Amino acid sequence: MSNETLVSVENLGVRFAVKRGGGWGKASYLYAVDDVSFEIKRGETLAIVGESGSGKTTTALAVARLVEAYQGKVNLDGTDFLSLDDEASRLARAKMQFIFQDPYSSLNPRLRAEQIVREPLDSLSTMDEAEKKEIVDRLFAEVGLRPEQQRLFPHQFSGGQRQRIGIARALATQPDLIICDEAVSALDVAVQAQILNLLRKLQADLNLTYLFISHDLGVVQHMCDSIAVMYMGRVVEHGTRMDLFNNPLHPYTSALLSAVPSVDKARREATKRILIPGDPPDPVNLPAGCRFANRCPVAQDICRSQDPALRDVKGGHKVACHLVGEDAVSPL
Amino acid sequence: MEPLLKVENLRIELTTRAGVAPVIDNLSFELGAGESISFVGESGCGKSMTALSIMGLLPEKVGRIASGSITFNGEELTTASPKRLRDIRGNDISMIFQEPMTSLNPVYTVGEQIAEVIRAHQGLSRKAAWNQAVELLDAVRIPNAKGRVSDYPFQMSGGQRQRVMIAIALACEPKILIADEPTTALDVTVQAQIFDLLNDMKRQTGASIIMITHDMGAVAEMAERMIVMYAGRKAEEGPVEQIIEHPRHPYTRGLISCVPHIMSSISQERHALTEVPGIVPSLSDFGQNRCLFASRCNMVTQKCVDERPPEKPFANGQKAACWFAEEV
Ligand SMILES: Nc1ncnc2c1ncn2[C@@H]1O[C@H](COP(=O)(O)OP(=O)(O)OP(=O)(O)O)[C@@H](O)[C@H]1O
Ligand code: SF4
Ligand SMILES: [Mg+2]
Repeated sequence: MSNETLVSVENLGVRFAVKRGGGWGKASYLYAVDDVSFEIKRGETLAIVGESGSGKTTTALAVARLVEAYQGKVNLDGTDFLSLDDEASRLARAKMQFIFQDPYSSLNPRLRAEQIVREPLDSLSTMDEAEKKEIVDRLFAEVGLRPEQQRLFPHQFSGGQRQRIGIARALATQPDLIICDEAVSALDVAVQAQILNLLRKLQADLNLTYLFISHDLGVVQHMCDSIAVMYMGRVVEHGTRMDLFNNPLHPYTSALLSAVPSVDKARREATKRILIPGDPPDPVNLPAGCRFANRCPVAQDICRSQDPALRDVKGGHKVACHLVGEDAVSPL
Repeated sequence: MEPLLKVENLRIELTTRAGVAPVIDNLSFELGAGESISFVGESGCGKSMTALSIMGLLPEKVGRIASGSITFNGEELTTASPKRLRDIRGNDISMIFQEPMTSLNPVYTVGEQIAEVIRAHQGLSRKAAWNQAVELLDAVRIPNAKGRVSDYPFQMSGGQRQRVMIAIALACEPKILIADEPTTALDVTVQAQIFDLLNDMKRQTGASIIMITHDMGAVAEMAERMIVMYAGRKAEEGPVEQIIEHPRHPYTRGLISCVPHIMSSISQERHALTEVPGIVPSLSDFGQNRCLFASRCNMVTQKCVDERPPEKPFANGQKAACWFAEEV
C-alpha cells in the first residue's frame, strides 16, 4: 500500500443558522462540523463513526462541497478543492463519488439501469457512444449484474441489486474517492455481506479510497484502515483500526465499543459496559469545557472549564481528552 | 406445567394481488413464564407477523389465521372475541415497536399517555395515575422525570421516546412483552441502555420477553432461546449459546458467519465475509413442498427440492428443519 495522502482535511467547519424562539432575535449557529481534521491515504478506508447528529454526513457533504464550509481546507490529491472555481470544482468532483444508504430513493425510477450508470459520463466527458457503452458494460460486469439487466428499471431490482447499480454509477467517472454514507445499513445481513465483499474487491482491484460512514461498528471494523470518532461536531479520537479497537483512549470511544452487543462469549465476558447516561448537550448552546463532560464517567473540574484539543498522543493516535497523557493510557 | 404461551401448527395466510400465500407456515413454539426468546431472520421471513398474530393485530382483510392455535395461560386466542383480545392487550401482553414516534400520540404529553394506560388498567384517580407516570418515567431512567412528564413526544430524543413506550408497556404490568426491533432506530449506546432496562424489568416483574431482531449480537445478549425464521417457516430453534456455537441449519450458519462481528481482540488480517448468495424468496413462493432455502444453500441435493424437510430434534434442545442437520 502506498503512503501517499489522497485527502487531507484541515480545520473544516460547517455551521447552520438556527432561529430560537422566533421574533427578530439574532440568529445563533449550530456548529455541525467544528474544526475537523483528518487524512486518508490512497487505497485505504477511513471510517467515521459517532452517534446520530454528531456530524458525519455533514462532514462528508462538506468534503464534496455539497454543503458550504465556513472555514477549513480540503486537499484532494494536491489541489485545494474548496477554493477551486465552479468549473474546475465540477471536474474535480468527478473524482469524488457518493453511495447513499437508501437504494430505493437514490436512483431515478424513470431511468433504465444502463442510463443511470451512464449519466455521470454524459455530463462530464466528450466520449462517443461506443466508448460509453463499453464502459457501462464493463461496470455492470464489475459489480456483478448481468448484461440483460441493463434494460430494467430500478423497481425491477432487489435492494442489494439497486445498491450495485449505485456502486456502478459511482465508479463510472473513475473516481479516486468514494464516500459511502451508511451504504449497507438498509440491507439485510446476507445481502450486506455481498455488498461489503464487492466494495473490498473493487478497492483492491481499482486502488479506490473510501470515506466510510456507518453506525455499525462490526462493519466498520471489517472495512476500515483508520477511524475518526465524532462527538457533537468534533473528532474526539482518530487512529488506526488496531489503535481504536484494541486501545481506545477517549471515554466516549470506550463507551461506544462497550455498547456493541457481541456473539463472542469471550468478548461479552471481558467487556465491562460503560454506561453514559443522559443526553448530549444542546448543540446551539455548547458548554464551555469538553462536550462530553456531562456524560463522562471520569470528568474532572478541568473538563467543565476547558475545551480539550485533539492532539497526537502516540505515533499518530490522536485524542481530545484532558485525562489522556503522553503514556496513552485510557483514563477509565 | 403448561407454558405461558403455546403456539401450535399456526398458519397465517396473506391475500395479495398474486394470490393467497402462507406468511406463517406451520409454526409451533412455546414460551415459559419469565423466559426470553428471540426471533431472527431477514426481513420478510414472518417475524413481525408472528408477533402481530399473538397480539390479535393481523392486518384486517389481508391477513388471517387459517389454522392452528395460540393459547395464552390455557386460553385459546385464535377464536377469542375482539373485546377479549383488547382486554388481553391492555393487561397481559404488551408490544413495543421499532419507531416509537408513530406509536405515540403527538398531541398529548407523555405523562397524559402513560397515565391514561394506568387509569384504564388499574382504575386509579387522575392524580394517583399522574404520580405513577412520573415514577415509571423515573424507572425507565428519564432524567428529571418530574419535569419531563409534561413534554410532548417531539420534545424527546428517539431513545427517550422508546423509553416512554417501555414505560407505557410496563404500566400494564404485562406477563409478556413483545419487542419488535425495539432499538433498530437508536444509537448503540442508547440501545445498550434499553437492553439493560428490559433485563432489569424482566428480573423485577418476572415478565417473559419476545424480542424480534436481525442482530445476532442482540440475541446473544438478550435471549435464552432463539427461533430462526426463513420464508415463513421455522428453520431452527434452540438455546442461544448452543446455536451460536454450533448451528444446525445452513441458513443459521450463514446468518452468523456473514456478519463481521467484533471479537474479543481485533487482528490485523481480514477475510472476505462468507456469503449467503441470493435473496429471500418472494411471498408467492412460500408454502411449497420443498426446502425454501434450497436455492441459496451450499449443501443442496435433489431431496431438498423434492420434499419439505421435517424438524429434526437434537439431544441438547436444538431443532433444525434441514435434511442434513446432523452434517451441518
Ligand atoms: N441543513 C441543515 N440545517 C440545519 N441543521 C442541520 C442541517 N443538516 C444537518 N444539521 C444538523 O447538523 C448536525 C449534524 O448532522 P449530520 O446529519 O451531519 O449528523 P450524522 O452524524 O450524519 O447523523 P446520522 O447518524 O443521524 O446520519 C445535527 O445536529 C443536524 O441536526
Ligand atoms: S476531557 Fe474530561 S470530560 Fe472530556 S472525555 Fe476527557 S475526561 Fe471526559
Ligand atoms: Mg448521516
